Amino acid sequence: MAKLLDKQRYKCALGAMQTVQAINRAIPILHSGPGCAQKLSDGIGSSGYFSPNIFPCTSINEKDVVFGGVKKLHSTIENALKVIDADLYVVLTGCIPEIVGDDSGEVVSEFADADKPVIYASTAGFKGNNYKGHEQIIDAIIEQYLKKADNRQKGLVNIWADVPYQDLFWLGNIRELEKLLREIGLTPNTIFGYNRGIENINKIPEAEFNLLVSPWVSVKNMKKMEKKLGIPYLHYPTLPIGAYETSKFLREVGKYAGIEVEKVERVITEHENYYYYLIERYADLFLENRVINKQFSVIADAQYALGITKFLTNDLGLVPAKQFIVDDTPKEYREAITEEFKKLNYGLSADVAFETDSYKIHNEIKAHDYHGYPLILGSYYDKELSEQLQGNYLNISWPVQDKVVLDDFYAGYTGGIRLIEDIYTVAVQRFN
Amino acid sequence: MGEIRQIAIYGKGGIGKSTTTQNLTAGLCEHGKKVMVVGCDPKADSTRLLLGGLAQKTVLDTIREEGEDISLDRIMKEGFGGTRCVESGGPEPGVGCAGRGIITSINMLENLGAYTDDLDYVFYDVLGDVVCGGFAMPIREGKAKEIYIVASGEMMALYAANNISKGIKRYARTGGVRLGGIICNSRNVDRELDLLRAFSKELGTKLLYFVPRDNVVQHAEIHKKTVIEYKPDSNQAQEYRNLAQAVIDNQDFVIPTPMTQERLEEILMEYGMMDLADDYRI
Ligand SMILES: Nc1ncnc2c1ncn2[C@@H]1O[C@H](COP(=O)(O)OP(=O)(O)OP(=O)(O)O)[C@@H](O)[C@H]1O
Ligand code: SF4
Ligand SMILES: [Mg+2]
Repeated sequence: MAKLLDKQRYKCALGAMQTVQAINRAIPILHSGPGCAQKLSDGIGSSGYFSPNIFPCTSINEKDVVFGGVKKLHSTIENALKVIDADLYVVLTGCIPEIVGDDSGEVVSEFADADKPVIYASTAGFKGNNYKGHEQIIDAIIEQYLKKADNRQKGLVNIWADVPYQDLFWLGNIRELEKLLREIGLTPNTIFGYNRGIENINKIPEAEFNLLVSPWVSVKNMKKMEKKLGIPYLHYPTLPIGAYETSKFLREVGKYAGIEVEKVERVITEHENYYYYLIERYADLFLENRVINKQFSVIADAQYALGITKFLTNDLGLVPAKQFIVDDTPKEYREAITEEFKKLNYGLSADVAFETDSYKIHNEIKAHDYHGYPLILGSYYDKELSEQLQGNYLNISWPVQDKVVLDDFYAGYTGGIRLIEDIYTVAVQRFN
Repeated sequence: MGEIRQIAIYGKGGIGKSTTTQNLTAGLCEHGKKVMVVGCDPKADSTRLLLGGLAQKTVLDTIREEGEDISLDRIMKEGFGGTRCVESGGPEPGVGCAGRGIITSINMLENLGAYTDDLDYVFYDVLGDVVCGGFAMPIREGKAKEIYIVASGEMMALYAANNISKGIKRYARTGGVRLGGIICNSRNVDRELDLLRAFSKELGTKLLYFVPRDNVVQHAEIHKKTVIEYKPDSNQAQEYRNLAQAVIDNQDFVIPTPMTQERLEEILMEYGMMDLADDYRI
């Protein structure tokens, strides 16, 4: 029997064209029907060096299905190379050409001698969602573009974290992680956002190690780089938000990188002092509201569900109700992620469900006794429910309708403070 | 004038579908019937004998080169005895989706009004292996309601026929398509007639006609003609006329009962074919 999936919180793999768009001067070339692209481009703003809404697309139609779309793909790439001044051209395939069996890889390989790199990622919607599509893009870069470096640069670290645009705070987060690594004496290298781009991609193979800050997305990419480029990786599954996790994060990264403990501790102390100074000053606010919002649920991808649950429990002393991971996490990672939710302070542990169906999620939330008003951190889909339950609600995951984020972030010490500000802004509005 | 009898011919690749369909069509013409043959095969060789060569530009080539705004006479040619001949065509081997091509061109034929009331029969000659949904197009959406499977006494021909029956069964529930029978295009296999009768019975249908093997078929083929046109007085021409009569008279349309692989092999055993394989000599 076919099942109905209510309000799923991701797009199809082709949605990973946003990953390409997060790389400066990289342009996606879609080999798909015109509707795919139209449907997927949203929420990135619409202007810039390349408008996220303007990109080459083969716009294939019935004729291309019957006769194959490879000729059209060839001419589209050829013309894109002529008229668009980009540093990297990434061909993404949608469902139709993959079903028809177009050999897009072969077409792309004909551009091996072009002045600019052209690579290709198979991102047909039926292969999975845009989290997997994101991995496909990184994979394409590794497989088709990067080469093993002769020299490695001591202290150079590639950081991989959020999925751009799917994760609202990707830009601010990655900058904050860079900043933290720099403070303990490492040289971060990232490929997304302002002032990063092809040079940073070129530097990837020279790194001493890869740092992956994510429960599961890109684990495969790390393994591939380890194999192909000989770069080891440190997998830190929790996005560090707030002092507790961030200090732990810095200690672990410092240890892995062989940085002297005193240096790391100095950085930590400085941050923590300021962090707890702020917390102390507003302790009464937190205490008052804790009566109201004792329990919380996060409805987000594994990255945010885990990061925020740890933060709210460890740093703010809130009690986790059930948490919902909505990114269709591949089965192989679920157990390890579930374990992470058990590693909370004060002997606490959080129940977690891998659930993509909003209908079921909402039913579970309605059935749970939050011992007061629930605190719901989720997507726009959860706003109405939160209102019904008179809960406090914050939009932290896709889809986002009632919030504008340019480079705000939740990662690190500062990010924790930002999240506190956002949550308690909502909380105080209840009375004011 | 009654409803158009739309008939799809299926069967293993190379079994003789196109040859049989065209000779059958020629036979029907002699009976004064108005017939259209629609080739559903990228090879576009379903009307060669009626047209005296591969004279036909395919629907898909025409669409590809001229767009969809074309007139019917661009894609339909008149052949032997006033038959209307259409070749759907398809992409080059190894690219594109031939199945979708069939769907596209049959839709095109409908839009252009090819199915006129004066037609008695429309034949769809489908390529050997019904590999995807597109090749089932002729039996979907209530187009061809009548199907004949061309088979022989060879194991793989029967295996294919059984498989095709599974497809028919699927569409029978909703589309109303029925199996009209098996046409044996003989390969001179021992006890072929008995085997085919038993096989047809097991499928819940009948052996509609047994077409003997005859070299005149190939001679006619070289001359780009049906046997009926090339050697009207030959035995084989008469066989095809009889086949035409059998189709005209046929009243038995069934939902087939495809068998398991084991049962199929049992039947083959029974008729001795399995043993024969052992003392096969070149
Ligand atoms: N009864 C017959 N006697 C002798 N030769 C025959 C007979 N029937 C068909 N043939 C020959 O068998 C060959 C294949 O026939 P045909 O092209 O009609 O097969 P088909 O089933 O349409 O093949 P495909 O699946 O490739 O479309 C032809 O060369 C044809 O001349
Ligand atoms: S699922 Fe397939 S058809 Fe739909 S938008 Fe994604 S790539 Fe396009
Ligand atoms: Mg044929």
